[in-house]
Amino acid sequence: MSTKPRVSSAIPGEEPSFGTALAHQPGLASAFGALYGEFWSKGTLDHRTKEITRLRNARVTDCGF
Amino acid sequence: MSLGQDPARLLAPISDNENARMTWLEGAEGDPPFDAVLGLRPELRDLYRAFYGKLWDEQLLPASILELCRLRVAQLHECESELAVRDEGAGVDQEQLDALAHWQESDRFSAAEREALLLAEKMPWQHHEITDEEHAALRAHFGDEGTVALTVGIALFDANCRLRLVLGTEPVPIATKAPASATGPIY
Repeated sequence: MSTKPRVSSAIPGEEPSFGTALAHQPGLASAFGALYGEFWSKGTLDHRTKEITRLRNARVTDCGF
Repeated sequence: MSLGQDPARLLAPISDNENARMTWLEGAEGDPPFDAVLGLRPELRDLYRAFYGKLWDEQLLPASILELCRLRVAQLHECESELAVRDEGAGVDQEQLDALAHWQESDRFSAAEREALLLAEKMPWQHHEITDEEHAALRAHFGDEGTVALTVGIALFDANCRLRLVLGTEPVPIATKAPASATGPIY
């Protein structure tokens, strides 16, 4: 799989990244930020468990980004 | 036969699937099962509705594209709970539904639909096999804005199937005007 950015940055002066690509759809980006922020900042799971599963998922999907 | 290639899976009675009835979590009665289970964490459920529902609330892509991709991803996962939901307002006809499992060999789909379906075909299990050329063709049809919306949409269709299968939400056949909205349940 390509490791070159395939979608341009929607934010002038910033490199293409997950965040700047998502910014092509500001409504989606904002809603995603609210959801993901809620997941990380609150809830019954401890932070360590969330981080371990996040990294394991990245490994399983072979996501170097 | 590869994953999701059996057209009978789309039309088979949902009770025939041995995995269809396992339910590990019970949500509030009366709500669609998937929404009800997510409702065990109401703050997350409401924010997820707002995120997922934007695809339809803001009409980020043609509803037919979303519906074809949603159902194709569900076929690939053999997710009866997702397949039980139909967006009646999307303009997808029965002939397209019948051809969806073999869309590559069908002339029932437009060029844009075929580009979108190629991404839907590969994202769940073959995401590393999406080539630069295929992605460039996708952007030629949808632009950066549409490509981002479509990629997020398919990622959520994929995630929803995984959630439904792992959480064991029951399939409940329903015809709706939109599978999700910030102001209503996720079907």
